[in-house]
Amino acid sequence: MNTNPAGGATTSDAPSTPLSPGAWDTRSDEALTEPVKAPGTPKASQASPASRAAGRRAGADPVKALMHRYQALCARAVDPLDIAAGLEAHGMTDRTAARFRHRDVFSLAEEMYARVPRDSAPQADAPSPASAGAPASAGSAASAALPGGWAALALVPGAVCALAVTLVPLTSGQARISAALVAALAVAGALRMVLRYGPLRAVGRTVPVTRLWVCWLLGYALLGDGLLRAALAGGAEGPWPTRPAAVLGLALAVGPAVWCARLFSAQAGRRLAVSRGLEDFAAAVWPLLIGVFLLFLAALTGLLLLTGHLLGDGAGAAGAGAGTGAGGAGGALAAAGALGALLLLARLLTVYGFPGIPAAVLGGACAAQALALAAAFAGHLPGCGFIAAPVDAAVRAWGAPVVPAVACGAAALALLAYAARTLTRASAHARPETTR
Amino acid sequence: MRIGLLTEGGYPYVTGEARLWCDRLVRGLEQHAFDVFALSRSARQEEQGWIELPPQVHRVRTAPLWTAEDDGVVYGRRGRRRFAQHFGELATAICSAGDQADRFAYALYGLADLARDEGGLPVALRSELAVRTLERACRAPGALRTGRQARVPDLLAVAGLLERALRPLSLDWYEDADGCLGAVDLCHAASGGTAALPGLLAQHFSGVPLLVTEYGVPLRAHYLGVSGELSAPARALLASFHGRLATEVYRQATLVTPGNTHARRWQERCGADRAKLRTVYPGMAAARFADVGESGVLDDADTLVWVGRIEPAKDLIALLHAFAEVRKQEPGARLRIIGAPAEGPDAAAYLAHCRALAAQLFPDEADGAHAVGANPVSFDEIGGPEVSELADAYASGGIVVLSSVVEGFPISLVEAMFCGRATVSTDVGAVVEIIGGTGLVVPPRNPRALADSCVALLRDPERRARLGAAARARAMELFTVEQNIEAFRSIYLEIVSHCPVRRDAVDAAGAPLPFAHPAESHVPGRWAARAATAADVPSRVANGPNWGANRPSWGANRPSWVVNAADRVEPVELAEPVELAEPVGSGKAEA
Repeated sequence: MNTNPAGGATTSDAPSTPLSPGAWDTRSDEALTEPVKAPGTPKASQASPASRAAGRRAGADPVKALMHRYQALCARAVDPLDIAAGLEAHGMTDRTAARFRHRDVFSLAEEMYARVPRDSAPQADAPSPASAGAPASAGSAASAALPGGWAALALVPGAVCALAVTLVPLTSGQARISAALVAALAVAGALRMVLRYGPLRAVGRTVPVTRLWVCWLLGYALLGDGLLRAALAGGAEGPWPTRPAAVLGLALAVGPAVWCARLFSAQAGRRLAVSRGLEDFAAAVWPLLIGVFLLFLAALTGLLLLTGHLLGDGAGAAGAGAGTGAGGAGGALAAAGALGALLLLARLLTVYGFPGIPAAVLGGACAAQALALAAAFAGHLPGCGFIAAPVDAAVRAWGAPVVPAVACGAAALALLAYAARTLTRASAHARPETTR
Repeated sequence: MRIGLLTEGGYPYVTGEARLWCDRLVRGLEQHAFDVFALSRSARQEEQGWIELPPQVHRVRTAPLWTAEDDGVVYGRRGRRRFAQHFGELATAICSAGDQADRFAYALYGLADLARDEGGLPVALRSELAVRTLERACRAPGALRTGRQARVPDLLAVAGLLERALRPLSLDWYEDADGCLGAVDLCHAASGGTAALPGLLAQHFSGVPLLVTEYGVPLRAHYLGVSGELSAPARALLASFHGRLATEVYRQATLVTPGNTHARRWQERCGADRAKLRTVYPGMAAARFADVGESGVLDDADTLVWVGRIEPAKDLIALLHAFAEVRKQEPGARLRIIGAPAEGPDAAAYLAHCRALAAQLFPDEADGAHAVGANPVSFDEIGGPEVSELADAYASGGIVVLSSVVEGFPISLVEAMFCGRATVSTDVGAVVEIIGGTGLVVPPRNPRALADSCVALLRDPERRARLGAAARARAMELFTVEQNIEAFRSIYLEIVSHCPVRRDAVDAAGAPLPFAHPAESHVPGRWAARAATAADVPSRVANGPNWGANRPSWGANRPSWVVNAADRVEPVELAEPVELAEPVGSGKAEA
């Protein structure tokens, strides 16, 4: 029920502890040194200093002096009621307002609001400190919530995967399968940690089925090409050649992906703070989005080339016997690159609150790959050879990686178009406020 | 009768605001059934649980204001168009200057209908469409000057806070089924602003009359506190929203009961009809002061007492200087300062400063050459060895002094009145309204006037006793719990008898019963003619009620019956000032 005197409006007039070092101030001096007045004439003795003070200080325009006293309050007021609330928080009542020849505090506040000098030109250009530091932008919100060492944490999946790729071939037989399973679980765990604590953390709604699609896509990148070739050649027996270089490259690319996401959110937050309007913001963000995306693609390509070179992926592809050496290597690179781009875009969209479309597109890519495999197998059924014919022709012409390259590439392009439309909205970069 | 009590961060929660008042109200009106509809402010508040509820509280429904549930609804084309239309109107009403009450109401209820029909409002309010609409409204000609400078972060912040403020629209409280707001006979909002929003919607959907009680002014609190860290355009837009919401609440409420004149002034300023306003003072438990108030014995008649929380706004320094003046004229006077410092380092430093000043101004004094001396100014805390409880604090002196420069509704003054003590107060906040001529009032920041008044009372025991008795009588009439409850009891009955909820009668199976209400009950008009009409046209009165001659009493926003009752709520007239000696500030400092 009591008023809150703090009020946010700070003026020199707010009641507060005196700033002088001792407990002694001028009033204390007066109280002791002033001669005792005759008790009979208090009125006469008080009237004169009061009127003298009024005459000296207020002059003809008492409101002007008042405005000077409450300068900060007047400057930040957004309407007359704002000033009225601030004045009341400083103890102004209607009876005090009567001294300024006003009926009540409201009409006094109205006069003060009307008389505040306004110079809108400089305010319109310089971003106000409050809006520049507003916690509305995703960048600042993300940086506030990021745990230390997120940048280094992003390298863990790559390291785990490299270890697995080194160690698993050393085993053999039954042990190899167990080792591969353990390795897959370790990489998945590391990836989950990165996605939970880094800039790629999704605070809003997620679609759980996305995980299944991602597992399928990664599994296909590892095994799919060999399986498809085997299926087209006549049987799915035996260990198919795997493509660990692609998976290792993708795992290593988690680092650049996290850094790029951070770069995007920070830069978008900065552009958000200085944008005048929504159109300005959209115009400023879409080049940023494309730039960050290309940056990631470049890093991913470099990593894929590096892992391919180290693990001899080209030899593996040639060993599988399609006879399209250079084309196969290029195709594999394209397939892995498209998959990486697809995964990054899907995650970015989920992080910014658009999980639905990415899940559908990922599912579509999976379906395309599964369809190609199914067609290859179905071709062996009697009388159904025509089903496998298109896949067979494509694989003969461009190599087995053409299937994931086309599926993931098309999906990534679709998501890129979607991201260019949604991630350039300002509302995507507003964070729901944290629950208090 | 079933009352829907609407609170926001309040009643059933242990940490709620005004829970004491609500608890007393609910316990005092045990013949009514209460359904409590509580909005909680934070997760922590929810974790700390509820206070013990009496049996007349049949049901408690809670909803969090601090988190939005995403119901996964995404509007189709029609829903989007509906949302765009109504939110556009809302944005225009917020961003434009001038009277936008009708537009605001149309938009608010349109959004409420949409939320009830389709859901999905929280997501839509944060969507790009909402931000874009808001931007367009800000840039439109005729928009608020400050709002026109809004940048993208401001728009996002405003959209987010609007979504938060409009969360009550998405609640499932507005059905006619049992346990919802549609089934109650009267909605009583324990505070204005967000808490009254469900009441507005209940009136919109089911025609339930709304009573709004405001002890603080939410709009003023919004200006002072909530929006402190926002930029100017965002603050302007939000202040506009809250102002228009307050206007709509006052417009639709059947009655509004401010807790003091200060709240009443703000309500009038926000467009509340004077005829709807009834000041109902907060009630305080008077029983614990009964012994002190009725004994009439003064042990330390020469002692001045100050009671309260020690903080800079109380201006104890002026009190000490005034006391120095008093000591010059009455050397036997003593001053007791009773209270603990408020929270925060600032208040503790202030207390230390006051102690130091007291020690410097007043040397210790002893009765004789062989006695141990003591300072005439003592600092005590309630619960300490000298003052075991609050009533003792007031009993330990003859005059209670209040020296604040800023004050709301000073409870310590009311308590002093309950104790039958003469008071000297500064003219701040609601002091004059509370004291009403039963004590002396001086201007703030004027130690000499304060001292003169104290001396005058110290020298005149008879006047002191008279003022004390008058103060106690006034407080017992106006500020007891019983009067508060009694006022609400009669207000409830008044509202329900004049503005009953019109529900279609149904039988046990839920089928409508035709002719359940007699046709006369729907005839608009006055059953009892007014006295003026009776004087003018006596023959018509003799013939029967004045059919249809006047406007319907319940169809209008402003029921005509309240007009007649408007005069008797002026607090000044309720008071019967025993002593009218000191008009405010006169004769003391400014004459």
